[in-house]
Amino acid sequence: MTRDEVSQQVKKITARELNLNADNIKESDQFAVELGADSLKSIELVAAFEEEFNLSVNEEEALKVQSIGGAIDFFTKLLNK
Amino acid sequence: MKTYELQDIPQPNLLEGMFPYSLPPLIQFEGTIKEEIDGTIVEFDPGEVTTRDIHITDTTFRDGQQARPPYTKEQMVKLYEMMSRLGGPNGVIRQSEFFLYTKNDRETIDACRALNLKFPEITGWIRANKGDFRLVKEMGLKETGMLTSSSDYHIFYKQNQTRKQAMDQYVEVVEAAFEAGVRPRCHLEDVTRADLPGFVFPFVQKLERLSEQVPENMKVKIRLCDTMGFGLSYPNAKEPRSIPKMIWRLRNECGIPPERLEWHGHNDFHKVHINAASAWIYGLNALNGTLFGFGERCGNPPLEGAIIEYVALKGSLNGINLSVITELANYYQKVIGTQLAPNYPFVGKDFNTTRAGIHAGGLRRFEQIYNIFDTAALLNRPPRVAITDKSGTDGIALWVNDFLGLKGDERLTVMKVAKIQRWVMDQYEKEGRMSSITDQELEEQVKTNLPEYYSKYRKN
Repeated sequence: MTRDEVSQQVKKITARELNLNADNIKESDQFAVELGADSLKSIELVAAFEEEFNLSVNEEEALKVQSIGGAIDFFTKLLNK
Repeated sequence: MKTYELQDIPQPNLLEGMFPYSLPPLIQFEGTIKEEIDGTIVEFDPGEVTTRDIHITDTTFRDGQQARPPYTKEQMVKLYEMMSRLGGPNGVIRQSEFFLYTKNDRETIDACRALNLKFPEITGWIRANKGDFRLVKEMGLKETGMLTSSSDYHIFYKQNQTRKQAMDQYVEVVEAAFEAGVRPRCHLEDVTRADLPGFVFPFVQKLERLSEQVPENMKVKIRLCDTMGFGLSYPNAKEPRSIPKMIWRLRNECGIPPERLEWHGHNDFHKVHINAASAWIYGLNALNGTLFGFGERCGNPPLEGAIIEYVALKGSLNGINLSVITELANYYQKVIGTQLAPNYPFVGKDFNTTRAGIHAGGLRRFEQIYNIFDTAALLNRPPRVAITDKSGTDGIALWVNDFLGLKGDERLTVMKVAKIQRWVMDQYEKEGRMSSITDQELEEQVKTNLPEYYSKYRKN
């Protein structure tokens, strides 16, 4: 999966889970600050990414990711291992 | 001023010499304790407690039973058997005292004896009069406690006696015990409110003179009864409330060795356990307690607390089986029908249960952060989490992994249990719930949201 493909999916899932418009989501957006995800919502987002990409992630590493760009990099790396 | 520099070390210092986790945290001492007695500084070596034969004596069926509905014979026999296993083959729980007054009392002693257990040794308890002593002889007991009240509150206002009349009566019964070959144990009732130089010490010295005529295993034992919980363990507290001074004078001025001294406390001022443990440390060997501290009014030293203290002071189990504490608690709650407070140490439903999400997170990452010792191995009570709106997704993960019995890499992540946590939060935020989530409700959520794990790992 290319980074662009992962980016589209990450933004789509984030928009769905947080009730946002995917077109307005930027790579620099932080989940907690700009997108308003509380701790449970952040966990639910990671769970949704796991389901979408059909993989299990390391909990501590996944929950360290703060931004959309970080999530795109994190999953691109995992999917291309 | 002394300057301390930060030591930024690569590995944590968990102080495992003091907090071994495989045992309760060890109680260690440095140096001596100083006490001023009659204007002179005397020293106590608290480390001496590791070399003395400290032990526990039980009064669950005597004082413990004065504060609650009577136990049935079957219950007492079962409790006695469990106490024997708890204290182990070396007799850390050395003796247990029984009433002798009713037919049921005596049948219970016979039933306990029929178990043929070495420890705890069965002893009696009587008032200090010759009529009661007949009961001890009939039961063939080797030792009996006898009520020898020591304060003027008791002597003058309960017994309507002078000090001389009281002492003469007590001495008469002690002599009768010697004649019958029964070891007397004088319970100095209300000793922390007594005139020590004016009554207690002369009485004890008289007992010592009487003991000169009998062999070592018959000499009078002295039980210090802090009947109203007035005793104080603080250094330099005034007599008669000072536990250190009382023990020092009995040992050094009256010549009573530690193996013939015993502490019996009451919890009227929340000091019952620490006073009893302090009495051990300040130089006597026997700590008298009851299961879960049941006893007159606010209760006695909790026997199970004393057991944990013993391990912490000695640094080893010495044959003690701590998991019997959990068996005893279950027996009280399920068979006898006596509930223990949820926050009661070592046995309460919540003693190692956390409700805070941040604590649950700590428990998930490294159990030792929020568990006092290895409660799963020693007490058969793994740490738990109670689920509320404050316990967080970490709490759910801990609960679910414990429920499914998952360990190590098998454990589910917070992502896997996120749907259950969402249901929990909806209960509080949308449904206005005020109570904790029950285990049954959580099991239903596991069935619904993690069906594949439930069918594979669920506990029976």
